[in-house]
Amino acid sequence: MKTIALRELAHSRSGEKGNHSNISVIAYDPALFPLIKDQVTIEAVRGLYGPITKGAIHRYELPAIGALNFVLENVLEGGRSRTLVFEESGKALSSLILTLRVTVPQSTPERSQAHNKGIL
Amino acid sequence: MKNIKLGCGSAWARDRFEHAVELVKHGNIDYLCFDSMSEVTMSAAQVAMMENASTVPYDPYLVERMRPILSDCKRKGIRIITNQGWLDPVAAAERLISLAQELGINDLKVAAVSGGVLHQAVADMDINFIETGEPIAHARDRIASAETYMGAEGIVQGLAQGADVVITTRVADACVYLGPLVHEFGWSFDDHHAIARGMIIGHLMECGTQITGGYFADPGYKDVPDLANVGAPIAEVTESSSLITKLPETGGLVTEATCKEQLIYEVQDPSAYMCPDCIADLTRVSFRQAGKDRVEVIINEAGRPKTDSLKVLIGLTEGYTAEEMVLFAGPGALARADLTKDILRERFKKVDLKAEEIRMDYVGMNAVHRESTPAPPDDPYEVVLRIAVRTSTRAEAEKLRKEVDPLAVNGTYGTGKWATMSPGSRVQPVVGLSSALIPRQKVPFIMTLHTTTN
Repeated sequence: MKTIALRELAHSRSGEKGNHSNISVIAYDPALFPLIKDQVTIEAVRGLYGPITKGAIHRYELPAIGALNFVLENVLEGGRSRTLVFEESGKALSSLILTLRVTVPQSTPERSQAHNKGIL
Repeated sequence: MKNIKLGCGSAWARDRFEHAVELVKHGNIDYLCFDSMSEVTMSAAQVAMMENASTVPYDPYLVERMRPILSDCKRKGIRIITNQGWLDPVAAAERLISLAQELGINDLKVAAVSGGVLHQAVADMDINFIETGEPIAHARDRIASAETYMGAEGIVQGLAQGADVVITTRVADACVYLGPLVHEFGWSFDDHHAIARGMIIGHLMECGTQITGGYFADPGYKDVPDLANVGAPIAEVTESSSLITKLPETGGLVTEATCKEQLIYEVQDPSAYMCPDCIADLTRVSFRQAGKDRVEVIINEAGRPKTDSLKVLIGLTEGYTAEEMVLFAGPGALARADLTKDILRERFKKVDLKAEEIRMDYVGMNAVHRESTPAPPDDPYEVVLRIAVRTSTRAEAEKLRKEVDPLAVNGTYGTGKWATMSPGSRVQPVVGLSSALIPRQKVPFIMTLHTTTN
């Protein structure tokens, strides 16, 4: 087994709804979705975003596309219309989730390496 | 078989202008659809009108967007759907009619779809804020804006009346795509699977190039060819198939990955994506690469009937904000920024700054992911101290700049200045948004037709 950044297995996009932010986690390879589902838990996400998330964190599954959707409630300090936060819309929040460490079989291909070999 | 092609002319009010022009020239499209709104657009427009009476009540870019394309669209039979009507779609329609006359288009028909703008009347409708449960009536004196997310029915009616252009007030963003599909395929609004399919296509399209490689590139992980010339998306829809592609010979890419990211964008529970005309189950959507930059959207009976209510956004006046920055670099930059923070805290006490909130961040270190930022280096080369305050009065917010500008001569060694040449005030009034649900029968749409007269 090896421990790597989630960024090697998945990509992510964040969007805003009022004071909430949604952060997707999408497996590059749908075969890795079960592994991602097991390790990218609400607790793991709270470990990263807990200090700025003032409300609940929800996790939803989209198995047909190998993706999770996290909703972080009250993470934008009031939302774009009133927030004092420098990054007002949370569009830059997605990159943090990709720093999460995940443990995978040694043979699991890593996105950056496949990229360097010109496979992608 | 009928194959309807919808192009995205803009994803928001300040999107690039060239997308629409290129789509009309090279896109071979049937409809050109514009989204001009984010959540804050309508309340910001209301504030702009309060501050300056000469501000137009519709998208100030309306004429600039339509002038280069209106004649060609009319000649080619490309119909335009746009939500640039904002607070007054009728005024916007009349403005387009005068533009058409100026351009020598003598038979333009414009449909204006109004009805969702409630203003202070929302306080009399016996409904509560979703966020707090408080009655809206209690906030009556502070209501700056109130608008409903309307469905696609008004757009469909305008198209049925032969409109070349349909211009609306706030509709759910995806409706500028759903409307033409309902019109073309004759779907009933009770056919919730068909409506959901149109809504999902609209949801994928509404953010424009976010599905063709914009907001996607991550060098070494997700590379995007020629992002500087990213091409606008085009949806190709038949009675039985849905496909996303983009303008040929442009930058960007359309892949299953770009489509997946956009499918979940700004979504909460994907199994119940709430729309004015249906509930869409996004977990019943998948994608198949059908060719280079062509992705089939597979939508498997994803609809449920609409609810009895519509969402209303309510903007309340909530005081003022102000923001300043102070710049440091080189050895000891962080220590000088820390000292400057201490100086400002003391100065704020001395001038009795009455702030509801004060925020100080170091841009480049912890201003984006804030308290969730991993531990920064001990001695960063550059530090930008950013200070933001929220106050209940304008005079209190003005105190911030009055304390920051003098740091140039009263602060630490090597204190850099930010935007000190800009004259006047940087204080912004705040209209904070909240939401509510309103029984849909209380918000009927009104469709009016406007034509050029010879």
